[in-house]
Amino acid sequence: MLFNSLSFILFLIIVLVLYYSKLFGWTNKKRMLLLSSYVFYGLWNPPLVILLWISTMIDWTAGKQLAVEENQTKRKMWLILSMAVNLGFLGFFKYGDFLLENFVIIVNSIGIDFQAKPMDIILPMGISFYTFQTMSYTIDMYKRKTERARTFLDFALYVTFFPQLVAGPIVRAKDLITQFYEEKKATSEQFIWGLFLLTIGLFQKVVMADTLLSETADKVFGSKELLHGVDAWVGTIAFSGQIFFDFAGYSTCAIGIALMLGIVLPDNFRYPYASLGFSDLWKRWHISLSSWLKDYLYIPLGGNRHGITRMYVALMLTMLIGGLWHGAAWTFMVWGGLHGTYLILERLQRRYIPFEITKWNGIFLAFITFSCVNITWVFFRARSFKTAWNMIKSMFYAQSEGAKILDTFSIIKVTVVIAILFLCHWIMRNTSMKEVSLKTPPYILGIVWAIMTFLIIIAQGSGEQFIYFQF
Amino acid sequence: MKLKQSLIIALIFVIIGITSWESYWRAQGLHPTLNDEKALWAMTRAKVEEATKEDVIILGSSRAYFDIQVGQWKNETGKEPLQLASTGSSPLPTFHDIVNNTEFNGTIIVGVTPGLLFSTTYPKAFPWERPQSKVDFYFNRTYAQRLNFLLSVPLQQNLVLMSADEEEWNDDIDLKALLKRINWGKLDTLPPTPPFYNFGDVSLPRNMSMMPRAATDTAFANSIIKVWHFFGKGSPPPEKDATTAFFMHDVKKFKERGGNLILVRPPSSGGVRIGENMGLPRDRFWDSLVHVAQVKSYHFEDYAQLKNLTCPEESHLSLEDANFFTKELVEILKKDNVLPNHKTK
Repeated sequence: MLFNSLSFILFLIIVLVLYYSKLFGWTNKKRMLLLSSYVFYGLWNPPLVILLWISTMIDWTAGKQLAVEENQTKRKMWLILSMAVNLGFLGFFKYGDFLLENFVIIVNSIGIDFQAKPMDIILPMGISFYTFQTMSYTIDMYKRKTERARTFLDFALYVTFFPQLVAGPIVRAKDLITQFYEEKKATSEQFIWGLFLLTIGLFQKVVMADTLLSETADKVFGSKELLHGVDAWVGTIAFSGQIFFDFAGYSTCAIGIALMLGIVLPDNFRYPYASLGFSDLWKRWHISLSSWLKDYLYIPLGGNRHGITRMYVALMLTMLIGGLWHGAAWTFMVWGGLHGTYLILERLQRRYIPFEITKWNGIFLAFITFSCVNITWVFFRARSFKTAWNMIKSMFYAQSEGAKILDTFSIIKVTVVIAILFLCHWIMRNTSMKEVSLKTPPYILGIVWAIMTFLIIIAQGSGEQFIYFQF
Repeated sequence: MKLKQSLIIALIFVIIGITSWESYWRAQGLHPTLNDEKALWAMTRAKVEEATKEDVIILGSSRAYFDIQVGQWKNETGKEPLQLASTGSSPLPTFHDIVNNTEFNGTIIVGVTPGLLFSTTYPKAFPWERPQSKVDFYFNRTYAQRLNFLLSVPLQQNLVLMSADEEEWNDDIDLKALLKRINWGKLDTLPPTPPFYNFGDVSLPRNMSMMPRAATDTAFANSIIKVWHFFGKGSPPPEKDATTAFFMHDVKKFKERGGNLILVRPPSSGGVRIGENMGLPRDRFWDSLVHVAQVKSYHFEDYAQLKNLTCPEESHLSLEDANFFTKELVEILKKDNVLPNHKTK
C-alpha cells in the first residue's frame, strides 16, 4: 500500500480510530497494529507476507537463544542462522537474477557455451529494509548490546510496524521495541505535528518529485541520444531532486504517521544537499542506513582501528556493499564506489591539505559536494553503463552538438526547484523543521500547510510508487 | 507552538481553495467524468473470468468503444456486454489475451478500425503497447490498486478536479497537465502536434459516449479532426500480412473451442473515410480479413440504415447516433441469429 493513495487514507483512518478507541487494551492495540501492518503489506502481494513471518520467527528464536545461551559456539551458530536466512532471502529474491546473469557471462567468457533463462523472481517490496532491521536485532543480541524483546508480539511489531516497514527508517531494536512496552498515545500537539509531517512528506512525493521533477529525469535518462550538456545536467539534477523528495518524503510520512500513534522514529534525512563534504553527507542522507552500515559493516571490517590502508579498504568495501544494497546492478556498485572514493579523497585532503570551513567558503564547499553527488546519481539512475557514460560525456564535454530534448520551461522549472532546494538545505542545515515552525506565526504555518495540501490534491498523483520500494 | 490554530487555518483555506478550484473549472464548462484508466479496463476484464456462453465481449478500438453503447445493447438484448475496446489500440493483444488466458467461448465482437487492426504486431508500437499494458496491468494489479480504484470512482464521478486521465489530454487539469500548458521555448516538432482534447465521457459499467460538445461545437470537432489527420499522415504503412496471421492464429483457436466471433466495421466519414479508402481500401483489407476469418462480418456500408451515419469528428458517432447504431446492429445480429439467448420482445 502506498502512502500517496486513497486506500492508505482509508486504512490510516481505520487504524487511528481503532487505536484511539476504548475498545482495546494496549496489548490488543498492538495486535491490531500488527494485523494492520500485515494487511498494509499484504494488499501488495499477500503470499510475500510469509517471508516476513519467517524472518520474524527466525530472528525471534535466535534472539531468544542468544539471550540465554552462554556457549559461544552455539551463540555464533544462532547468529549465523539468522544471517543466513535473512541474507539468503535477500540474495535469492534480490540478487538471484543478477548472480545468474553474471555467472553466464563468466562461463561464456571462458569458452563454455551456457545460456540460462532468467528466473524472473519477484522482488518483495522493502525486503532490504526489513531484513536489515531484523538482522540488527540479532547482531545486537549477539553482542549483548540490546535486551531481548519482552514478548513475541513486541518483536513481531518491531519487524513489521507499517509506517516504516517498506522503506525505513531502519530502526534499531532498542529504539523501537522499548516504545512498545508502555501504552503510547500521541498528545494533541504530537498528533497534529505528525499530520503536518505526513502532509510535508506527501507534498515532497506527489508535488515535488512526481509532478515537478520526474518527467524531466525520465526523459533525459530514457533518451538513447547523446545529449546536449545543458539537458544532461538538468536531467541529472532533476533526478537528484526527485530521489531526495521521493525518499525523504517517504521517511517524513513514516515519522509523521508513527508520531500520530505516539511512536517516535528517528530522522532519516537532515538537509543532505547542504553537506560540507561526504562524511557530512552520510550523516545527513539516509541516516538509518549509513549508521547501520557503519555499525555492522565498517566497524567489524576494522574501521579506523587498524591503520590507514585498512581503513580505506573498509570504507570502500562498505560503500560498495552499500551501493549493491540499493540494487542488483553494477551501476549501483559504481555509485557506491564513487562515494567510497569521495570519502577516501576527503580523508586525504583533511590529512594533507586541511583548511578551515568558514561561513564564507561553506556554501561554496556545499555546492561542490552537491555537484559531486549529482555525478554519482548518474550511475544510480542510468539503467546501463552506456547510458551513464553518454550522460557523463554530455555533462563534461558540454556537447554543443548533442541533442536538445528539453524545452525551455522544463529547464527553468527544474533549475529553479533545485536552486531553491539547495538554498533551503543550506539555510536549514543547522536547525530543524520543528525549530523553524516554533518561530513561525501559527497563521503562516496554517497557510503554508493549506497551500501544500491544496497542491497535493490538485496534483492528483497517480499513485506513483516510491523509488526506494524497489530496494 | 499553536498547532491547533495552524490546523484550523489550514483546513479553512483548503476548503476555500478546493471549492474555488472546482467551481472555476465547472464554470469553464468541464463536468465530472470517469477517467478511462487501466484499472477500469481491468475491472471489466475480470468479469471475463466468470463469463459464460451467453456473454458478449466487445473488443476493438475507440470506434467500437464509442459506437457500441453498453446501456442500449442491454436494453435490446437484456444482457450487458463487457466493453473492452480501447482508444488508439489494436484489438489483437486483447483478443489474444482472452483466447489464450481464459476459457471464454461465448461471443466476441471485434470492432475493426483498419488503421489500427492492421497496423502492427510490434510490441513497442503505440497501438500494441497501449492495450497490452492494460492486459499486463490486469494480471499484475495489487489488491491495493483495486481498492484505490473503487475508492476513486465516487470522487471521479462527482469532482471535476479528479481528471488526471492516463490519456494525458491537453485539457486535463491536474497540476502536471497545467504546467505542460506553459508554452515557453517548446521544442519544434515537424509537423507540429495538434492539441488533443478529451471528447468522451466514461461511465460505469465501462462505457464511452461522445461529449455533447463534440457533436455540436464544430470548432471543437475540427480540433479533433486535425488530430486524426495528423495521425493518418504520420502512420507507418500497415502490416497486413503479419497482423492477419497473428489474428487468424487466435481466431482458429477460439473457433475450435466453440467461440462465436463477429467482425464489425463501425462508421467513419469525411476526410478520415477518404483517407481510409485510399490507404486501407475495403477490398484489400476488410474483405480480405472477412474472407480468411470465415466468421459473421458486418460493414456499415452494407446497410442502408447505417451507411449514411455521419461522425461529427469523422471517426466516432455522437451519443444519439451511437445508440441508433447499437440498436440497429443488435437488430441485424438478431436477424442473423448470431447473438446468444437474446431477450424476446
